[in-house]
Amino acid sequence: MISDLLTRRLVVCCGAGGVGKTTVSAGVALRLAAAGARTVVVTIDPARRLATALGMSGLSDAPQRVPADGVLGRGAGELWALQLDARATFDRLVARYAPDEAARQRILDNRIYRHLSGTVAGAQEYMAVERLHELVEGGQFERIVLDTPPAANALDFLDAPQRITRFIEGRALRLLLRPSTAAGGFGWRLLHAGSGTVLSLLERLTGAQLLRDVGDFLADFDGMYQGFADRAKAVRALLVSDSSAFLVVAAPEPDPLAQALSLAGRLGEEGFPFIGVVLNRVHPLPPSGLPRLEALEEALAGSAAADPGDLATRALATLAEEQVLGLRDLDAREFLRTALHGQQVIEIPAFAREPVELAGIAEVAAALGT
Amino acid sequence: MLGKGGAGKSTVAAALGLAEARAGRRVLVAEVAGQHRIARLFGAGDVGEDRETELAPGLFAISIDPERATEEYLSGQLRIRPVVELLTHSRAFHTFAAAAPGLPELVTVGKVWSLAIALDADGVPLWDVVIVDCPATGHGVALLETAGNVEELAAGGPIRDQAARINEVVSHPAATGIIVVARPEELAVSEALDAIALLRGAGLPVAATVLNGVRADRFSPDEAPHLEAAARAGASAVRAAAQAALRHLEHQVADAAYRDRLAAEGGVPLIELPEVISRRFDREALETLSDRLAAPVATTARAG
Repeated sequence: MISDLLTRRLVVCCGAGGVGKTTVSAGVALRLAAAGARTVVVTIDPARRLATALGMSGLSDAPQRVPADGVLGRGAGELWALQLDARATFDRLVARYAPDEAARQRILDNRIYRHLSGTVAGAQEYMAVERLHELVEGGQFERIVLDTPPAANALDFLDAPQRITRFIEGRALRLLLRPSTAAGGFGWRLLHAGSGTVLSLLERLTGAQLLRDVGDFLADFDGMYQGFADRAKAVRALLVSDSSAFLVVAAPEPDPLAQALSLAGRLGEEGFPFIGVVLNRVHPLPPSGLPRLEALEEALAGSAAADPGDLATRALATLAEEQVLGLRDLDAREFLRTALHGQQVIEIPAFAREPVELAGIAEVAAALGT
Repeated sequence: MLGKGGAGKSTVAAALGLAEARAGRRVLVAEVAGQHRIARLFGAGDVGEDRETELAPGLFAISIDPERATEEYLSGQLRIRPVVELLTHSRAFHTFAAAAPGLPELVTVGKVWSLAIALDADGVPLWDVVIVDCPATGHGVALLETAGNVEELAAGGPIRDQAARINEVVSHPAATGIIVVARPEELAVSEALDAIALLRGAGLPVAATVLNGVRADRFSPDEAPHLEAAARAGASAVRAAAQAALRHLEHQVADAAYRDRLAAEGGVPLIELPEVISRRFDREALETLSDRLAAPVATTARAG
C-alpha cells in the first residue's frame, strides 16, 4: 500500500473518531519523509492532538520541522507538522484578498465574521480547504498528509468546496441585504416584493441587528467570492485526481467498521482515489491455546508465589480475554475483507504502549508494510 | 455526554440512561449526530426523529435532525404553514442559514432545551432526566457554547431572547451537568482535560468525568517477579498466560495513572467503568456498565 502512496502529492486519512487517525497520518508522513520527500502532516481536527503524538508542544498554524532525524535514517527527507487554525487562515485570506484596506478592516471587525472564523463548527472544514490550497500553491512541500475530523465531519470536509460555492451563490441575499447608504440611515434595497417578505420574516426572527450584521458581512465579501469559488474548485480537482490518495482508518469495533465502509463506499462513488483501509489496533490471536491450570500453577509455585493457584487462575483468565479480543479482531478483518471486495486492508497491531512519542509513530510507520 | 470520538459517549449515555430508568426516573436520551447508535445498543431499529422511542421501561430515545428542528422552530415562531414554507424554500433563507454562525447548533440545542423543560398536561415535567449524546469534543463544545455565543452576537430580537433562555439552562449547574468521557489513553485524557478547561472558560458546568474501559485491578506489582519467571520457563501456553498477565499489569498501572491525573486535574468526581471484553458488544455488556452506574445515580438522586 505504501508503494501506492509514494508518488502522491496529497494523502488524506479519514475515518471515525478515536480510531487513531492522527497517529496513522503521522506514520504515513514519516514513511513519505523516510522515502526522501519533504513532507508535512496537517491536522484539521478541532482537538489538538497531533502535537502530543509528535512529541512536540505548541504545534501551530505555521509548519514546524519535527525533530525526526533520529528515526528517519540517512538520505531521508524532512518531516514537518502543522495544526490548522481556522481563524488564522481566514484572517490571512481576508488580509490577502480584501479589495481595499477599509473593507479588510470592516470584515475583521464584523461580529459575524469574528464568530464565523473563530468558534463555529464548519469554519474548520471551510478553512481546511483554503489551507490545503495555500500549502499546495506554496510549493514548500513535496508531500502533504491530511488528518481529518471524525467520519460525520470527514464527509463535511469533502463537501466543504461545494458548501463554499453554495454560500457564494447566495447572491440574492447579498444584494438584498446591502445597506443603502444613500438613504442616510439604514435601509434594505428591496429587489421585489417576494424577497421583501422573506426578509421581513427573517428580521422578525433575528431582529434587525443580526440581519444587518450578516448583510454587512456578505456585502464586504463582494469581490472575494470568485476567489473562494476558484480555490475550492482547484482543491476539489486535486482531491479527485491521481495526485491524491485516500486512506480510511478503522478500528476493530462495530461503529468504526460501519463508518469505514460507508466512507469507503462514498469515496468510490464520488470518484475520489480510495486506496484502502488501515485497520488499527488489531489484537493478535495468542498463538497457543490455554494452558492447563495445574501446569500454570506449577510454574508459578516454582518461583515461590504466595498463592500460586489464585495467581494462575487470574493469569489464565487474562489469556482467555486476549483470545476473545483476538477472535473479535479476526471477525473484524474478515468482515472488512468481504465487504471491500479485494481492496487493500492493512493491519496495525495494538501496541502494548500507546504510540504517543516519535518512537511509537515510527513503529506505526513500520507496521504499514511496503 | 461529551468526549473524544471513540471514547464511548453513546455507550455511556445508554448505560446511564438505563441506570436512571431503573432508579425509577423517566429518561430521554437525545442523539444529535444522527447516528442511531443508542437504539442499536438495545437491538432496536432507528429511533424516531420527531418522536421518542421507548427502548426499555422508562427509557426513551430521540434523534435530533437540525433541518427538521429548524422547520419545527420556524413553525413555532411564525405559526402559519405557508409562511414557513415561503421562508424555508427561499434561497435567501438558506444563504442566511449558511452565513449566520451556529444556526444548526442553536436549533439543535434549542430542541434539547425544549425537551428538557417540557411539561405534561398536569404541569409535571415530561422527563426527569434528558441525556444528550454530543458530537466529538471540538464540535460538542461548540454545540454547548452556541447559545451563549448567539446571545452575545445578536443585539436584540427573538433569537437573542431564545438564546438567552437556552443558555440560562445550559449554563446553570443545578439544571445541567456536563459529563466528560475518556478512555484511559494519553491523547484521550489530555483532550478531556482540554475540554474541561474550555467548558469552564465558557461558563459551562462540568459535573463529572467518566473513565471508560478501565482494566480490572487483577494483579499486584509484587506478583510481577513470579509471572516473569513463569514467562521464561515452561510450556508455550504457560509462558503465553504469564506474558498476558504481565501485559495486563502494565496496562493496569497505566490506567491507574490516567485515573489519578483525570481526577486531580479535572477537579470533578470521576466515575470508573470497567473494560468490557466480549466478541461483540451486546445487551449483557451494556447491563454490566449500567450496574456500575447505579451507585453514582443513587448518589445524585439523594442530592436532588
